[in-house]
Amino acid sequence: MKNINNIFLSGLALFSMLFSSCSDDLEGIDENPRNITQEQLEVDFQNVGSLYKPMFENIYQYTPPWSYQLQQNLNADVFSGYMTNPRPFVAGANNTTYNLVSGWNNFIWSVPYSNVMNNARTIENETKDEFPELFAVSQILKVTAMHRVSDVFGPIVYTKFGASATTSEYDSQEEAYTAFFNDLEEAIQILSDNIDSPRFTAFDLAYGGNYESWIRYANSLRLRLAIRISKVDAAKAKTEGEKSLSHPIGVMESNADSFFINGTLDHPIKTINNSWGDIRMNASMESILIGYDDPRANSYFSETVPGDNTTVPVVPGSLKGVRNGLPLLPGYADELAQKADYITFAVLNDNVLTSSVQLMTAAEVFFLKAEAALRGWSGSGDIQGNYEQGITLSFQQRGSSGAAAYIADNTSTPQDYVDPINSANNIAALSTITIAWDNAASNEEKLERIITQKWIAMFPEGQEAWSEYRRTGYPKIFPVVSNQSGGIVDTNLQIRRIPFVDSELQTNPDGVAGAVTKLGGADNAGTRLWWDVPGGNF
Amino acid sequence: MKQKILTLTTLLFFSFLSFGQGIQITGIVKGASDGIPLPGVNIIIKGTTNGVQTDFDGNYTITAATGDVIVFSYLGMASKEITVGSDTAINVQLEADTEQLDDVVVTALGIQKSRKSLTYAAQDINAAELSKVKQTNPVNSLSGKISGVVVNRSSSGVGGSVKVTLRGNSSLGNNQPLYVVDGIPLSNPTGGQPNDTFGDLNGGNKDGGDVLSLINPDDIESLTVLKGASASALYGSAGLNGVILITTKKGRAGSFKVNFSSNILVESAAYYIDLNDKAENDIEDFFNTGVTSITSLSASGGSENAQTYFSYSNTFASGILPTNDLKQHTINIRETAKFFDGIVTANASVLASTQTIDNRPVSGLYFNPLVGAYNFDSPGERLSSYERFEEFDDTRNIQSQRWFRPTFDIEQNPYWILNRNASEDINRKLLASLNLKFKINDWLSLQTRGTYDQTLLNYDKEIFATTEATLAPSTGRYIFNEQDIRQIYGDIIASISKQFNTISLSANVGTSTTRSSTEILNADSGTAGGLQFANVFSIQNFNANPQVSLSQTSLDKKVNSVFASATIGFNEKLFVDLTARNDWSSSLPSNNNSYFYPSVGVTGILSEVFDLGDRISFAKVRASYAEVGNDVPANTVFPERQILFGGGISPLNPVRPLGEVRPEQQQSYEIGTEWRFFDGRFGFDIGYYHTSTVDQYFQVPVSTGTGAVTVGVNSGDIINQGFEGSIFITPIQTENFKWTSNINFATNDNEVEEISNPSDDVQIDNQVISAPGVNTFASYLVEGGSYGDIYAQVVKRDANGRPIVDNGALIINDENPDNTIAGLEKIGNANPDFTLGWNNTLTYKNISLDFLIDGKFGGETVSLTEAVVEGLSNNSRRETENAPIEVVDPSGTVSTLTAQEYYGLAGGRNGFTGEYVYSATNVRLAELAIGYNFKLSESSFFKNIKASAIGNNLFFFYKDAPHDPNVSLSTGNALQGVDVLGLPSTRSWGLNINLTF
Repeated sequence: MKNINNIFLSGLALFSMLFSSCSDDLEGIDENPRNITQEQLEVDFQNVGSLYKPMFENIYQYTPPWSYQLQQNLNADVFSGYMTNPRPFVAGANNTTYNLVSGWNNFIWSVPYSNVMNNARTIENETKDEFPELFAVSQILKVTAMHRVSDVFGPIVYTKFGASATTSEYDSQEEAYTAFFNDLEEAIQILSDNIDSPRFTAFDLAYGGNYESWIRYANSLRLRLAIRISKVDAAKAKTEGEKSLSHPIGVMESNADSFFINGTLDHPIKTINNSWGDIRMNASMESILIGYDDPRANSYFSETVPGDNTTVPVVPGSLKGVRNGLPLLPGYADELAQKADYITFAVLNDNVLTSSVQLMTAAEVFFLKAEAALRGWSGSGDIQGNYEQGITLSFQQRGSSGAAAYIADNTSTPQDYVDPINSANNIAALSTITIAWDNAASNEEKLERIITQKWIAMFPEGQEAWSEYRRTGYPKIFPVVSNQSGGIVDTNLQIRRIPFVDSELQTNPDGVAGAVTKLGGADNAGTRLWWDVPGGNF
Repeated sequence: MKQKILTLTTLLFFSFLSFGQGIQITGIVKGASDGIPLPGVNIIIKGTTNGVQTDFDGNYTITAATGDVIVFSYLGMASKEITVGSDTAINVQLEADTEQLDDVVVTALGIQKSRKSLTYAAQDINAAELSKVKQTNPVNSLSGKISGVVVNRSSSGVGGSVKVTLRGNSSLGNNQPLYVVDGIPLSNPTGGQPNDTFGDLNGGNKDGGDVLSLINPDDIESLTVLKGASASALYGSAGLNGVILITTKKGRAGSFKVNFSSNILVESAAYYIDLNDKAENDIEDFFNTGVTSITSLSASGGSENAQTYFSYSNTFASGILPTNDLKQHTINIRETAKFFDGIVTANASVLASTQTIDNRPVSGLYFNPLVGAYNFDSPGERLSSYERFEEFDDTRNIQSQRWFRPTFDIEQNPYWILNRNASEDINRKLLASLNLKFKINDWLSLQTRGTYDQTLLNYDKEIFATTEATLAPSTGRYIFNEQDIRQIYGDIIASISKQFNTISLSANVGTSTTRSSTEILNADSGTAGGLQFANVFSIQNFNANPQVSLSQTSLDKKVNSVFASATIGFNEKLFVDLTARNDWSSSLPSNNNSYFYPSVGVTGILSEVFDLGDRISFAKVRASYAEVGNDVPANTVFPERQILFGGGISPLNPVRPLGEVRPEQQQSYEIGTEWRFFDGRFGFDIGYYHTSTVDQYFQVPVSTGTGAVTVGVNSGDIINQGFEGSIFITPIQTENFKWTSNINFATNDNEVEEISNPSDDVQIDNQVISAPGVNTFASYLVEGGSYGDIYAQVVKRDANGRPIVDNGALIINDENPDNTIAGLEKIGNANPDFTLGWNNTLTYKNISLDFLIDGKFGGETVSLTEAVVEGLSNNSRRETENAPIEVVDPSGTVSTLTAQEYYGLAGGRNGFTGEYVYSATNVRLAELAIGYNFKLSESSFFKNIKASAIGNNLFFFYKDAPHDPNVSLSTGNALQGVDVLGLPSTRSWGLNINLTF
């Protein structure tokens, strides 16, 4: 019986012990030690350093490829006339036929906000006072990402980002652009003051920590944005553009200055193009490149994917593009049957799909300068010189020869398009613009020439190409075959923007309502953005 | 002490072999009231281990000496003791035991209560009922047999998990009941469940399984379902959704018994979409006949002081999907012993189980062989000709995939997927427990228990080179996942049981602690990362780049609790039940990690209080109210940032709570009444319940312009209410023929009262249950809606109901904006409104017939399978056979489309899913068993032989959907009310042999 009493007593003791420590012994249990705490992140200043990589890799998202496919490939890359999808997704009722798929378009918004804006804000909080040059680089990346978002939607959340934990207020596109110019100006100033600081080298995926290159890029970006608003606010555009043109470090001069993000992963289009067969050459691209007999055509496109010995190209020996905006065509049982035909059209060449993602090239800057000169901005140099240097740099960048002969070609024009499978898709070329510079031409013709060549040179970055198409109407790319917008989008004027995304409509309805007011038109794909002014360019 | 236990254990094993000396007594045991012979009566010589059981006709033979006392005992009857005199024939009549008729129910924490004192609904089924039509997962047997239990089988074939819903869904987290084995909560990790109709790029939509299939159904003595929170307040948060108590078999004093049972089941694919003749031939060739054999052997016995139960079972199954098979072994050992003249009772048990499943079927579109199998439409070719799934590629010196057209993300050669994208699941369970009970005096006892519960889940998938490029790079892909889930539970409970004149008190005070930890290792060479050398499946063969994924997760949680309960009985006529519990959980912020919750219940035995006459043998009313608090899963409130393999840190900030985090709460009440008439030949039990679940910890999306994507808030109010009842009746009872019938029914009405509290900073309209992703099926919780609401893309029609076709495309209906979220319109709900089960047993002499009719009424289900098939091929029968469909263009001009054209436009994974909605109402013959009990001579070696032919899911009396709506793609919350190429439900036939000796 003594045993029993002992057991009973020890039981009671255990009981009271448990009781007294009911909450004391719970500390620290809830952690997942395989993750990283803020304290651990601060070692080696990774609390700031580690934030740049996600910013670099999500302006134009590297991974997963399907996310990029929705962020840009199935909108701007198609709307720009560069590429199109051989498969009529959703039985042809998708973005490319102006039957906008809101589930897709959420990615255009969410990717940069979650991965760029957010980290830029953390960097700002942690570095602005102590290490301003780290802040400055982050600001340049932020403008790089966000002007693209504004160019898709118009009003965006920018200056009031993070102001409230629950809702967010949009800036009008004009306010956002003003903020972009201010942020770039501030960044250029800070970097100029700290030009020799090596702090960013370890985290830099673009310029190896060279701030001079960053300043050149920031000036070039400012020039791009200035040109963009040249129609809606010519004075502001001139002021901002001239700041870049007159800056002592200036804008990009050579291909080495171009802004590429050298990620560690494959270019996302490589998977979409090579593995999935979900993207092919656009008919507009074929019409212009082949019509011009452009030597860059073979470095941009090829007949089949490397290593594919089984696919027979639709017209062996030529690069064929696909008309954009194809519905599920009559005669095809389903999407796949149609895809089986169009997948045999020209594919993107692996040359343009390396792990370096092109966001801005020196060639583009010379075309910007050509337009700046056309608009009479000081410091922009000679129009024709800039135009021809743009072409030359682009050839150089692609390793193509024959630039001089190409520049001198005053007869080649975009060619008519023939669909070798369904002749109903045939369409005559929309322009007779030639390559060689013509000083006697009208300003409008000069601009068409500049933008057409800029369009070729910027490939495969469809976002900027689509923005410039909307601003200028050039190059004259083919309209969609099927317009399923229910009259909202004019087939010939083409799509002007993307409506505000569902995630915002659901989580931030008041913010979106304010944004629609600032948009100044209905929240649909036919409404023009602030910088998108109808009528002639001059 | 240790030596003593060893000696005892040894003794106990040998004690089976000892026999007494004396004369042979024979006789027959019958029920006193009806004179019907009683089979299986336990007969033991008092004070010894010698015992026998009566046979089917109530006969027995036992050897005893004059002066020995023979004890006859039988469940539901009063035991009878007879001293052996000169007679060698002793016939006995056992009286119904009124005490035992109101039998004992094992309730929370293993505490036994008389059924009549329960203040809440509890219903049980016994071993015999469970083993009639044996299921590899014993929980499947509950459907239709207990009111209000909605069982959804997983579409993952043999060894699949089961979703059980009691009284509706209420939580965004776990809605499954708690499983308790012999009083101790069982850790039931699901190993992950699918939540995307598209499918998981990382190996397909797979069922992670559950541990219930790892339990041998033959080890179960009874299953008791405690439906509401009242019943489970003492289990704490885990019992929020009700509790299923599993009582396992123990050795019994006196009778050494060996039981052998063998069960063979043959199944065939039965319920899938209607295909055209060629496709149907192909699919019939494709599916195999599945064979499942369950064999189990158990031995039990012991003396009054020590009893042993041992069992071994194995299951071998091959599924209807080629290459899918399962092997499972389970052993269970249980020792019960009394020491120190019965002052200390020790109970120890070990359950060990291992299960290997090859190619567990997946649903969804990725890695699913059914995509290619259903859509194969190569003219002039048979699908079986692609059983040769590879051919030599001399450019790579490799065997490469062979298919009639280029593969694409969701379609590959099905035989290639089965053989060259093969997966293996190995699941192991170890459950060891020890229970010591000290009887301090006649009114106080102290009990302490501990369990160690470990589940190991291994998943391995080897994806060969030339698999479709969306799923694997050119050298192939390897996925390896290992989860180690442990739960350690300990408690100490003091129990008081005392009678004060007419007042009885039974009370418990205790404390418990539960520590659960999960370690996950996941390695996946990824869709782009790749392997260095093709088709070598090991982690060292991964390419060293950031697109491979390697990660470890370590989650830990501890909950400490103190609790008390008391049942006070007044004159055995009125009982009051009180419980209280306080939990402290490590998963809540330390300043707010304690939560208290009480319950109160009362029941009155009307038949004791009032004189209700002879016809009414029993009547009672009951009412109870309970609150249950709840914490959140580990590492939810303040997760750290994730590190990505070779990719720095995750770009997203971890989700943070917007304000203070509170424990979740559920409040519920129930009332009910129970009546029995004519000595129990007829009776019913009916009740009403109402639960309200508030302050759930939701992760709420906010505008990305805030800097966060989601924030955590406590919010919401989800209400479930309904009636549940059962009727039992014995319409016919003669000497040779007996028919017993049991009807169970329940209703559930679910309403989302609130998603956001009006005072919350973030107001949201909905919570996602199944995200649409890029498909057109979704489920949302919306204020005013119900849990399980289905959203689909609906075709816009003109005033005459004709679809509008514009520019060769159907148009999305925009006329119901209030019920539309992101272009998808509410078209139904996945859950039934009313469930009905009708279970019957007919016995005529030695023959028995059992059948169960199971019905679910209300609810909808979407066949994305049919949509996908109609989008990808023309194999759906109605595409070729249905009449043309009249459509109009926007200007009103009427034209017709062939069925093939129309469904081609409507179909697809992201098409007009509104065209693929079916009623989920169905009534089926769920179980059928015809048994024969062999009449054995007294000298037979066997005590009992029973053979039966069984059938499972034989046919539907009514069904609208092409698939079986009782099957779910997920046993989690998502993917309810939709079939996306899930493995078809089967019809099965089998044989069962049971030998007792």
